[in-house]
Amino acid sequence: MTSEALILAMMVIGFSLIVAAVAFGSAIGDGIVASKAVEAIARQPEARPNIFTFFFLGVGILEAFPIIGLGLGLYLFFAVTNVPSHIQAIVK
Amino acid sequence: MKEEVGAHLTWQWPLVGSVHADTILTTWLVMLVSLAFFWYMGRSYKSNRVNKRQATFEGIVNYLADLTSSTIGKHGERFVPIFIGMFFFIFILNQIGFFPFKELGMPFGGSPTADLNTTVAFALLVFFGIQFVAVRQKGIKAYAHLFKPVLPGPGGIAAMFFLGPLNVVEELARPVVLALRLFFNIFVGELLLFVIATIIASNVKVGPVNLSLAAAVIPFGLQFFNFFVGTLQAFVFTLLSIVYLSLATAEEH
Repeated sequence: MTSEALILAMMVIGFSLIVAAVAFGSAIGDGIVASKAVEAIARQPEARPNIFTFFFLGVGILEAFPIIGLGLGLYLFFAVTNVPSHIQAIVK
Repeated sequence: MKEEVGAHLTWQWPLVGSVHADTILTTWLVMLVSLAFFWYMGRSYKSNRVNKRQATFEGIVNYLADLTSSTIGKHGERFVPIFIGMFFFIFILNQIGFFPFKELGMPFGGSPTADLNTTVAFALLVFFGIQFVAVRQKGIKAYAHLFKPVLPGPGGIAAMFFLGPLNVVEELARPVVLALRLFFNIFVGELLLFVIATIIASNVKVGPVNLSLAAAVIPFGLQFFNFFVGTLQAFVFTLLSIVYLSLATAEEH
């Protein structure tokens, strides 16, 4: 294995780690928000529209983080290092 | 196919330097579209009978108006129009990227909110607007919360020196995160479409199976996802602006 291939492998692992970590954290957060919203609606069904508003607010804020992570990861993957073209060069 | 993400047509303007031409042209187009839409909605009120289109539109407007006045309080009524305008403007800005103007060779196209300049402008507008409203309502006391956890005794002054900068940073982080959230959500939607297009164009074959043809199904689902995200982020931006305004103008008790 050449050192260039090692660096490329590290790039791919780094990209996957970024996406996995942000997806992991925000998935837990989403689950907490949804379960609490269901609990609150079960306790107070008449407050459902109000709870839904803040449920969507929480989900909207949380969903931003995996998207930001994915954006930064794709930026690293394609724009900074351009991993696919290097991989093509190695394969040829 | 030579297509780049994040590449913009630029104009050289005096005083401001180079500006993103496609963003500005698309924003003007959206302004025209929303002006025409609101003019049409306003003109359609001719009789006392409410038709279906008006009922749908009034439902959305009523929801936002109730949200604004219930979050801010009794003096929140006068901020209702700006938040309704903000929601519909950002919504149309997000969804205009669905139409392939740029791919058809026109100088405009793509979501203007996929450009950091647009979202930073929105966030700064919200930030300074809130400062203006808070200072006009409460005077210099509007900044009293920056020194808020006032501890008794001589340690209180020392604590102020540590907690004050933290409060300032918290206040300044709000517009930054507001801008970045909207920008990245819309930008990644376009970026994902670009990644799928790259996969399709590279024509990957594994044995008899053409993986690129399989990937061609993804954009259908992705466009629904983009529509959902665009709507949600326009709503989140508006709701967060309302919440920040309510925090800044809350009466002490």
